[in-house]
Amino acid sequence: MEDLKELKKVEQLADQCMKCGFCSFFCPVYQEDKIETSVARGKNYLVKQVLQGKQEFTDEMGTIIGKCLLCKRCVANCPSKTQIDRVVVAARAQMVKNKGLGFIKNFAFRKVMSNRKAFGRYVKMARAFQWMMPTTEGTIRHLPDFLKALGQGRNIPSMAKTFLRDQVKPVYKPANGQKAKMKVGFFMGCAMDFVFPDIGLKIIDVLTKHGVEVVVPEEQNCCGAAIYFSGDFETGRMLAEKNIKAFKDFDYVVTGCGTCSSTLKDYQKYLPDTEDQKKRYEEFEKKIKDSTEFLIDVLKIPPEEFKLKKEFEGKTATWHDPCHLVRYQNIKDQPRAILKALKGLKYVEMANADGCCGMGGSFSVYHYDLTKKIADKKMNGIKATGADIVVTACPGCMINLTDHILRSKMPQKVYHFLELVE
Amino acid sequence: MIKEAIITDLQRIVGKENTLTSPEALKAYSYDGTTSWIEEPDVVVFPTSAKEISEIMKLANAEKIPVTPRGGGTNVSGGSVPIQKGIVLCTTKMNKVVRIDKENLSATVEPGVVLQDLTMMLMKEGLFFPPDPQSFLGATLGGIIAENAGGPACVKYGVTKQYILGIEVVLPTGEIVNLGGRTLKNVVGYDLLHIFISSEGTLGVITKAELKLRPLPQARKTTMVVYDDVSKAGEGVFRVLENGVIPNKIELLDNWVINRIEEMMPMGLPKDADAVLLFECDGIPEAVEKETEKIVEITKQFGAVDVRIAKDQAEADKYWLARRAGFAAVFGKAKTVMAEDVTVPRGKIPDLIKICKDLAKKHNVEIVVLGHAGDGNLHPAVLTDITNKEHYDRAVKAMDGIIEGAVELGGVLSGEHGIGLEKQKFFSKITDPVVVNMMKNIKKLFDPNNIMNPGKIWD
Repeated sequence: MEDLKELKKVEQLADQCMKCGFCSFFCPVYQEDKIETSVARGKNYLVKQVLQGKQEFTDEMGTIIGKCLLCKRCVANCPSKTQIDRVVVAARAQMVKNKGLGFIKNFAFRKVMSNRKAFGRYVKMARAFQWMMPTTEGTIRHLPDFLKALGQGRNIPSMAKTFLRDQVKPVYKPANGQKAKMKVGFFMGCAMDFVFPDIGLKIIDVLTKHGVEVVVPEEQNCCGAAIYFSGDFETGRMLAEKNIKAFKDFDYVVTGCGTCSSTLKDYQKYLPDTEDQKKRYEEFEKKIKDSTEFLIDVLKIPPEEFKLKKEFEGKTATWHDPCHLVRYQNIKDQPRAILKALKGLKYVEMANADGCCGMGGSFSVYHYDLTKKIADKKMNGIKATGADIVVTACPGCMINLTDHILRSKMPQKVYHFLELVE
Repeated sequence: MIKEAIITDLQRIVGKENTLTSPEALKAYSYDGTTSWIEEPDVVVFPTSAKEISEIMKLANAEKIPVTPRGGGTNVSGGSVPIQKGIVLCTTKMNKVVRIDKENLSATVEPGVVLQDLTMMLMKEGLFFPPDPQSFLGATLGGIIAENAGGPACVKYGVTKQYILGIEVVLPTGEIVNLGGRTLKNVVGYDLLHIFISSEGTLGVITKAELKLRPLPQARKTTMVVYDDVSKAGEGVFRVLENGVIPNKIELLDNWVINRIEEMMPMGLPKDADAVLLFECDGIPEAVEKETEKIVEITKQFGAVDVRIAKDQAEADKYWLARRAGFAAVFGKAKTVMAEDVTVPRGKIPDLIKICKDLAKKHNVEIVVLGHAGDGNLHPAVLTDITNKEHYDRAVKAMDGIIEGAVELGGVLSGEHGIGLEKQKFFSKITDPVVVNMMKNIKKLFDPNNIMNPGKIWD
């Protein structure tokens, strides 16, 4: 009998599915390929078969549980509230545990090796994963390699000349000699660090303008999203410990990356192996605030206090909900409140604002054809709004949206919402 | 197990990428929306045209291989479970809306179109397709027609069979035929079209359908009526109708369901009510106002303790969300739920509810009642645990009692789910053997080798 410890933790969740099949309507992947193994109901059934000893962790199983964006649209609309994301992630973790990280390679071999272009992506990807092995000391810099892996044939932003870590000061006092109303830890996240350092600096700037003292601990690490969502819980737990330690002295940890904020909050949901871990992860969760919710819910800044930057005057904007904000954290009203209140900016709601852009982290490496089809729907939604700019709050989405806007030869530019404000 | 050569033939017909044989894929096509019926096929194919389906059927007929048609797999009768293995023929990749004809108020669709996708497309044109099985998020038109599905809106609009003008169908022997047409009236010979509606996939594969549509109602209004006695709620249904108001929906939730919904998502439903009825009127705004007033008046006259008109669409949506959550609430509370869809003439609803209550007491089991009260179609659900034999046996007895009771009241075994595998045991018990024989002979005429969804409806 295979070791099923990780899977056993989610057995009750898996049992909640009553097989109604409503998830099929909401699953971006099933909507494209129309195959039952792609949809939550099918994945859940197969994981239950593993739990019952009727199904092994075959390569095909690896492919099936890998083929999920973790966008949680099915979870949000499930009548019996089955948390299939946790079932899928636990299955990946169990598979990594039982088969080694190689399972990721195995399923890549079958899907990717037959395609020369994809194989190039894979080789670079494998290098990226090597960085994440538990033996890695110090800071894990997975993103540069990850982005290179994505690179083939895609429009990927270049690396920043100087990473954010090499630009930031350890401490930022509130602007204009204000007395600090609060001291927060700033979590950079890899994308801000390596690709969008200016956005990171902008967030610090906005916070200090509003009387917040911002500290940027040097010991902070990658949040671990790409790692533990791929099933490498061991490295995930190591990162969790490092980040908890790095931010132990703060009441709030603020980040401008939707995926980072949700990932840091959700250590308690996906990773705990012991009661002690669970307790500490839960404590950590309470500190984490996405920049959107921090400004509106914690600092309670009235939205109309935000001023639009001159260059955006007269523009029409639409908001894209990152999965990690809208469904992982139920953050949807805060950014809209700011955008709608910005004088000089016209806001238009997109019909499929909360639809996944198709990125799904490494999903887009292995299933770029599906990513394109899923992104096409997003592109149609953007076009229909007539917007000049697409605004969001997740660098992952920004990278993917930019890729497909360029691919579709559309004129829109993509911004982090804080780039719009003075 | 079917021969390797057959798989090769199927791959030639539909393409390799549309032929699934991995053990994992076969497991994923072994079930439908029921809990107790599981069987893995030998192969799953995804044809993309009637011509491909014709070739598959000719091959299967020559080799005598069972073929089970399947769409979204949301059915709750076991109907799309390949109980005799063989081929699962999945229509999900035939999902084009071929034409929307506003002049004739009709649409031509492929069988794999999901009802909700169609509804959204039609809405843009100011049209709608009235049959509303509550699996609309996953159910496909092919299955909806084959099962003659219905839902809450049946009260005013009827069920699927009233909205199908014609179909293209591939017979088990491979011929492609067109039945019915595109006109509202059509009396050219026997009405073979309607033999296929509710045939549960045992006579052929529907490959195209001409649907009858209606203009989208301009206004809707929801009213919640509270009762201190569930039988009075049952009476409220026919009192409203006999007084000249035909709402498009009348739904019933009993006390147990109300309280489970409130636990799941508190929304201010009256927790001490023995039952509530949810009415929805639709049509032109003035008529909807008048009808709603009338509902308030009539229900108050016949024993309602409270009446709440939803002040806006948001409040209405809340009540209907509660109704939809009803089933999840039931399923979340027991290991095993036996949910049936017995249907009685409307006037007999109070009697059926009383039968359920008596049986719950007699067999000492929990029986909850919710359903489409407006058309006499209730879903009494017996809560049990299949692993607890003693309890389960009592639950089975209670369910037998409900079905016998419904039939005695002049009702039927299934209002909208179909027989499939789930209700075979009752079907043979209560159906006239002569009638069963007629059905078997019809089946033989279309499907001489019994390859088309074999093992369904009768044992």
